[in-house]
Amino acid sequence: MSDALIHALGLGVEIGGRRLIDGVSLSAARGQAVAIVGPNGAGKTTLLRALAGLLPSEGELDVGGYDPRIIDAATCAQTRAYCAQKPVSAWDYRVSDLGDIIGDPVGYAEWLAKLQLGEFSDRRLSELSGGEQKGAHLAMAFAALAEPFGGALLLDEPAAALDLGRQEAIAQAILAFAQAGGACVVATHDLSFAKRCDGVVVLSEGRLIAAGEPASTLTPEIISGVWGVSASSAH
Amino acid sequence: MTATKAWVAGCVLLAGLVVLALSVGTQGFGWGDGGSLLLLRSPRVLAALAAGLALGIGGAAQQGVFRNPLADPGLTGVFGGALFGIAVLLGLFPEAAWQRAWFIPAAAFGGALGTSALLTLIGSGGSSSRLLLTGLGLNAFTAAGTLVIASRSGESRELLTNGAYGDWLGMATLELTWLPVLLCLAAALLLLPLARSLDLLSFGEDAARGFGCEVGSARRKAVLLTALAAAAATCLVGQVAFIGLLAPHLARALVGPRHAHVLPLSALLGAGLLLGADTIGRGLWPQAPLSAAAVTAILGAPLFIWIARGRHE
Repeated sequence: MSDALIHALGLGVEIGGRRLIDGVSLSAARGQAVAIVGPNGAGKTTLLRALAGLLPSEGELDVGGYDPRIIDAATCAQTRAYCAQKPVSAWDYRVSDLGDIIGDPVGYAEWLAKLQLGEFSDRRLSELSGGEQKGAHLAMAFAALAEPFGGALLLDEPAAALDLGRQEAIAQAILAFAQAGGACVVATHDLSFAKRCDGVVVLSEGRLIAAGEPASTLTPEIISGVWGVSASSAH
Repeated sequence: MTATKAWVAGCVLLAGLVVLALSVGTQGFGWGDGGSLLLLRSPRVLAALAAGLALGIGGAAQQGVFRNPLADPGLTGVFGGALFGIAVLLGLFPEAAWQRAWFIPAAAFGGALGTSALLTLIGSGGSSSRLLLTGLGLNAFTAAGTLVIASRSGESRELLTNGAYGDWLGMATLELTWLPVLLCLAAALLLLPLARSLDLLSFGEDAARGFGCEVGSARRKAVLLTALAAAAATCLVGQVAFIGLLAPHLARALVGPRHAHVLPLSALLGAGLLLGADTIGRGLWPQAPLSAAAVTAILGAPLFIWIARGRHE
């Protein structure tokens, strides 16, 4: 795919003799949001970390115009942002400090507002709930990219532990980011959100089960085969 | 409190403390005839300022790189390593050790770097307990090594014993202190640009790399410069714990945790704390001064217990 901002071909990850990701390929072009879904232990987080260049991997990889495994971190960060599943902070920063740290306090404040967290900017992280802290870190990832167009965003369960209102705010922010010309790959358990994405990658035990549009990948047969439940239960 | 206000208040207090420190000593209060006592006390004050500055910023950097508020070069064995390095030089080459101004600082740097490397290899990446227990082990090992060398080396025994008790400020002369003072300043200045990397490291390795921090390079620089700061400070004052713990905690309480503010303010507070401790030790007991290390331990030990208790709970 020539205009793919995130492109992996035959990606494999082996740690401690265990093959955690085995020959997975995926692509997200400009304007696309792609969901990685699968049961616990399927390898979603590992695949996302490999895409971000945070794990040694084999296979072809191009994220935001660079191979993140070989390019320096500062250059890579200009076109690729990543937010971990459970972001942590050793120090009790004020939420607004996070914008200063990434060097874009104005952009950070805008993304905080989009994620319905603008009122918390003067609070310390310890004063927020777990979900709100996740949102504050998520806004860092959005704001770290100077502009969505041409940027690649990799998010690991961005809406976990958030109430329905903030889940929807994050879903809309992700889809708007993609529509503005970025590419976003999101690891998620939320199949309803996955159905709203442009593409879905279904993983199980580190292997690619299905990839393509939501209608062709989140079928009752695949849901039943991967999760062991009926499609109605999954939704 | 804003960083600017804290910085201005700190500078004013430090200036007052310098005047007080220059006025207090075994010869009584005042500057003597024609300022003679002023000249006599200046090297000691300069040494305390430089060592305190290095200890404060070194502590903040070590806490940042290990993401641990209990890290302090005194508690994690880096000062012990620096003193052990000096002891090895004095034990093996007692005559040659004083022939060049850089021999003793280089030996201290070698020892500090060795313990820093072991601390990073063995103690980092786990819990606070792992880091502190590794530091405890390194401290015990280096203290034992220094003790063995001191007991076998008649000429250097008193010198090394005084160093272990943080009691070297009394022998500060411009001839002995200029190089370590410059190294303290250099280490502090080179640590300041690492502020953003230390902030990013606080979010974990993945996040730091994700936001463009070269984690390995930033860690190596911070560890190297902390070792340099600890080594230079050790050359000036000997082993002093708790300044590297106290100063960053006070700085964070005043201006919040961002390293762009914490690093310089820790340097300022460290300089003030060590000079204050030395001035108290000399001012209250002019005939038998208490070492700066003893005074800082009296102040720092309760704080350490309070922080450790808070983290445990």
